[in-house]
Amino acid sequence: MLSNGLKKQLKIIRILQSIFLLSLSSHFLSPCGVPSVYAKTEDALQLSGFARVVLGYLDESDATYFGYDDSISFNQQSLVGLQADYKILDNLSATGQFIGHRGSKRESGLEWLYLTYTPTRSTQIKLGKQRIPFFNYSDSLDVGFAYPWITLPRQVYSAIFLSTFEGVLANYQWSGGKIGFDIEGYWGSFDDVVSTLDAEVPAKVSALRGLITKINYDNWTFRASYHTGDTIIGLPELKEFSSVLGQFGFIQSAESLNSDGKAEFYQIAASYDSLDYFFRTEVTQVDTRSAVIPNTRSYFVTAGYNHYPFLSYVSFAKNKTTYGAPAAEIPVGFDPQLDALASGYQSVFDALPLLDSQSITLGTRWDFKSNLALKAEVTLIKANQDSIGNNNSSFVVLDEANFDKKAPLYQLALEWVF
Amino acid sequence: MKNLLFASLVSLVVSQHAISSNSIMVIANTQDASIEPTRQEIRNLFMGSVLSYDLKAITLPPENRARVLFNTKVVGLTESRIQSYWAQMRFSGRKTQPKELASEVLVIEYLQTHPGTVSYVSADAEIPNDLTILFQIN
Repeated sequence: MLSNGLKKQLKIIRILQSIFLLSLSSHFLSPCGVPSVYAKTEDALQLSGFARVVLGYLDESDATYFGYDDSISFNQQSLVGLQADYKILDNLSATGQFIGHRGSKRESGLEWLYLTYTPTRSTQIKLGKQRIPFFNYSDSLDVGFAYPWITLPRQVYSAIFLSTFEGVLANYQWSGGKIGFDIEGYWGSFDDVVSTLDAEVPAKVSALRGLITKINYDNWTFRASYHTGDTIIGLPELKEFSSVLGQFGFIQSAESLNSDGKAEFYQIAASYDSLDYFFRTEVTQVDTRSAVIPNTRSYFVTAGYNHYPFLSYVSFAKNKTTYGAPAAEIPVGFDPQLDALASGYQSVFDALPLLDSQSITLGTRWDFKSNLALKAEVTLIKANQDSIGNNNSSFVVLDEANFDKKAPLYQLALEWVF
Repeated sequence: MKNLLFASLVSLVVSQHAISSNSIMVIANTQDASIEPTRQEIRNLFMGSVLSYDLKAITLPPENRARVLFNTKVVGLTESRIQSYWAQMRFSGRKTQPKELASEVLVIEYLQTHPGTVSYVSADAEIPNDLTILFQIN
């Protein structure tokens, strides 16, 4: 069942879709022919795009990592993006961005579709389907050309499974002599199937909202953001088991398995750029009310050297997940049925994935044309182990006995914007 | 002696030229004589920030010498960082990069016919009277 709010949003998206398609068709049917270089930037309709081809090879036969294994793969992150911006009025425009992808965890489709209203030079209001601005690079994850790495540090950028929302986002910016200031807020919802490491899970987030502030000072940019929402995650077996516990009167235990509730996300970031050096860091934290949904802390630090048209960098990233403690409520050793219940309850906690790892990356980027870049990257990924030596990481282990909990990932990428 | 004089004259002219061609001027089509932007404000203007003065930035192509000097002396970023910045801004729907014209001659012509525009050219370019020099950097 869709809520009324959601229905309204879907309707807005459909209207946007038709405006968008209409504008495209009128452009292509126009008898004016090819626009001149001047007209290109002043036309009501502007088309642009980006593409990336990413080759990856994990030098490890006993595990896989985000779809990479010991064969050369170019499906995981290669993609093409097409964007159309249509100016409806001087201060109103429609934008759509389509992403074509062949990765196993992602479907092709419209990633962005929104109207932008610009009431003043400093203010922008967007309505429609947009990227959730959790991280520094959330809004340009697909645009590899926009960042130095081939893969944004996984330990940080994979902490959140949501990527887009439907709703409204407002932005205000101001810039003085040395300092620039940017504040952004959004409100909306998410309702889709999300891919975790080994499953597809339906998820709904209502009252999804956030506040982002950015300060530019000289060559430094600082960003701090807070995001929250009420999450409903479709884990039917867990819900069933929780209700059984409730029927037995173990209310705390039942409640601890409730995967729904408020989730909060905090992020701070700093970046520095000069002609010679650059520096990036992001520190994030996810807090959930549920004992079975992970709390994650993660960070990365990247330092690089510019030797135009090349740049080189070294990067370190790390994350740690924790869960709430199980309730010690079910008596053990009195009744076989209760013992079974207690062990079933404990096994839920034992099976919770701890996706902890750290990585060191060395990489280089060569901007051989103003819109084309070639990148190479080596990442050494090391899984964190729990006290009994189990694999608790984003590695999918194929051979538990032989896997030494670390593996190097080699990647090559071609990035293009047009 | 004559030759020596000639040679020193030539070297003087050449070195003069070398100095001026390493300098750039920021020029605008504006009626507001009070505008005195700082280097940082000009940088922000060309990186798409909103300033108190409403001037629209116009740029030159990446391989242009004045642009290389402008990147180095005013923006303080490499060309590849500027390009990646604009890719992020464009595909996240935040800002669009300034209009780019092929040569300094076209930039001056465009500025003359478009009030409220600002750009940069090498310091040895001839600036028509109806344009204002906002800033010069050596």
